[in-house]
Amino acid sequence: MTTSALPALSDIPEAAVPGVLRIENSDRDATTPIILDMLRSVYPHDQIFGDFCPVQGYIDAPPRDLYDYLADTRCLEEWTYSLRGFTETDEPGLWVSYDRLGDSTKIYTRTVANPDAMTVDYHCAWDQSDHLWMVYLMRVVDAQVVFDKPGSVVLWTNCHHPFYDKNPYKDTAPDGRKVWVGDFWEMFSAGHQLELDNLKAIAEYRASHGLPIKPAWME
Amino acid sequence: MDFTDPTLGTPPVSLVDVASYLPGEPVGTEYFTQFSRSDRMAKNVMFRAPKGRHHVARDETAVDMIERATAPLIDRHGTQEISNIDVLLTHTQLPDNPVLGAGPEVARRLDMKPRWVFDIHNGGCAAFVHMMWMARMILRTTDARTALVACAQNCAGPVFTQPDIRGLAQAPVPGDGCGVGLLVKNNSAPILDIECRTYPEFAGDMEFSTNGDRKYWEPGEGQGCVTFTESKVAKVMTRGNRLVPEVAQAVCQRIGVKSRDIDTFVSNQPNRLFLRNWNEALELPPERHPDTFDSCGNLFAAGIPVTLDTENRAGRLRNGSVVLMAAFAHAGDFAGAAAVRWGAAR
Repeated sequence: MTTSALPALSDIPEAAVPGVLRIENSDRDATTPIILDMLRSVYPHDQIFGDFCPVQGYIDAPPRDLYDYLADTRCLEEWTYSLRGFTETDEPGLWVSYDRLGDSTKIYTRTVANPDAMTVDYHCAWDQSDHLWMVYLMRVVDAQVVFDKPGSVVLWTNCHHPFYDKNPYKDTAPDGRKVWVGDFWEMFSAGHQLELDNLKAIAEYRASHGLPIKPAWME
Repeated sequence: MDFTDPTLGTPPVSLVDVASYLPGEPVGTEYFTQFSRSDRMAKNVMFRAPKGRHHVARDETAVDMIERATAPLIDRHGTQEISNIDVLLTHTQLPDNPVLGAGPEVARRLDMKPRWVFDIHNGGCAAFVHMMWMARMILRTTDARTALVACAQNCAGPVFTQPDIRGLAQAPVPGDGCGVGLLVKNNSAPILDIECRTYPEFAGDMEFSTNGDRKYWEPGEGQGCVTFTESKVAKVMTRGNRLVPEVAQAVCQRIGVKSRDIDTFVSNQPNRLFLRNWNEALELPPERHPDTFDSCGNLFAAGIPVTLDTENRAGRLRNGSVVLMAAFAHAGDFAGAAAVRWGAAR
């Protein structure tokens, strides 16, 4: 029996893709126990945050205003834990600041934002600006759409780039610096949650006090 | 005397002994696989179901089960200690007579004249903890000295072997059995703490249906069975994943013991997934979370006392060790946990 209107998977011989569970090869009786087996009381930290670091939260502030704020690189001066002293470089859109997690550590940031999708991606790197390999992917979602209430949902994911484990640009590091940004990878989930909490606190304060989410000094 | 001492007026209550009874010869899983609707389902059943379970005989009543489970307590503590019980609490999964509780007849069989008799139905799979909680309250606040709590699980044979029910995937999981506990107002095996919580928001998600329009007391077609709607299965699973560790951790926190340092953890045992998830959640190695699932199946309320008795008779419960028990009931409308400083080792 075929129930599909589209020639799905017609380019591949039948049963040639291992690990694909579809209603045609695994009915609900067979699949429900597989799904129940995947549900746990607790999940090992590594399973949740191993190669990815997702954090997300609800912020009681208008989504478009929150997006506009996040899309401006200078907002990182406010809600991040340790990025300070943002100045724009000679290269348009490329900012340099200090990451105070490391001694005298410069961090370069270029923000790639899409106002239609309300995605804000911060492309960053410690010490050098030629390869911005640390990428922080954020998305602002209108909470009205997903939670049926005013406000914003912020999704923030970071991927475990191999350079977190090994700095390929050691020559650009300041002399005598003992730490490397990847040393903190295991703490990213908590650290990013802390920063998201900062963002929430700041944005909700401004929203509830009638202040613009993006402050005047950033205009 | 220090009248601000919070322990004043709340004398210690101990779980001084447990005993249990399993009816009949074990029923193998082959009994069920022959009725499976497909080979794949039969394989699935073989994988997930216990290897064996006990089924109560058609004419064996809950009172019979409780009487048989209590017999070892009479041997060990004497006829008089049991007949002098002050408080009798019973829980029966499938009442033999829906109008009557089992308590008075249990008392008659065991030659008791208890002053407090309660048949308790809302503790579900956590009924042993629930009844310990009630018994402790009565012993602490009255001159009552002893209590017997009894959990009779008797729906596996009668319900899950009916022709329309025995082919369902869940049919091989329940087993029948009965467990009892003896509580005494003393400090020999003190209950360290108990947490019992009712969650009204999760009430009503478990039904008893005849798989048709018929009420169970009306004449006609259809076989009675406990059911969840299929979409609720995952909801109940995630609730259970959360509820049992929550109440267990609440007790651990109050008694000042980290869950990973608990000597023995005994939970209810609805299926293998919950058993795995709970010992992971409490960061316990599986060997410190014993169960009787493979030989007894899901024993509902009797799971905790039957497993305690099994472990105790095997010499695996050391006096002075901390035994934690926890369970959730039905679709999550109740959960309870209790910690005991074990003192009934054999």
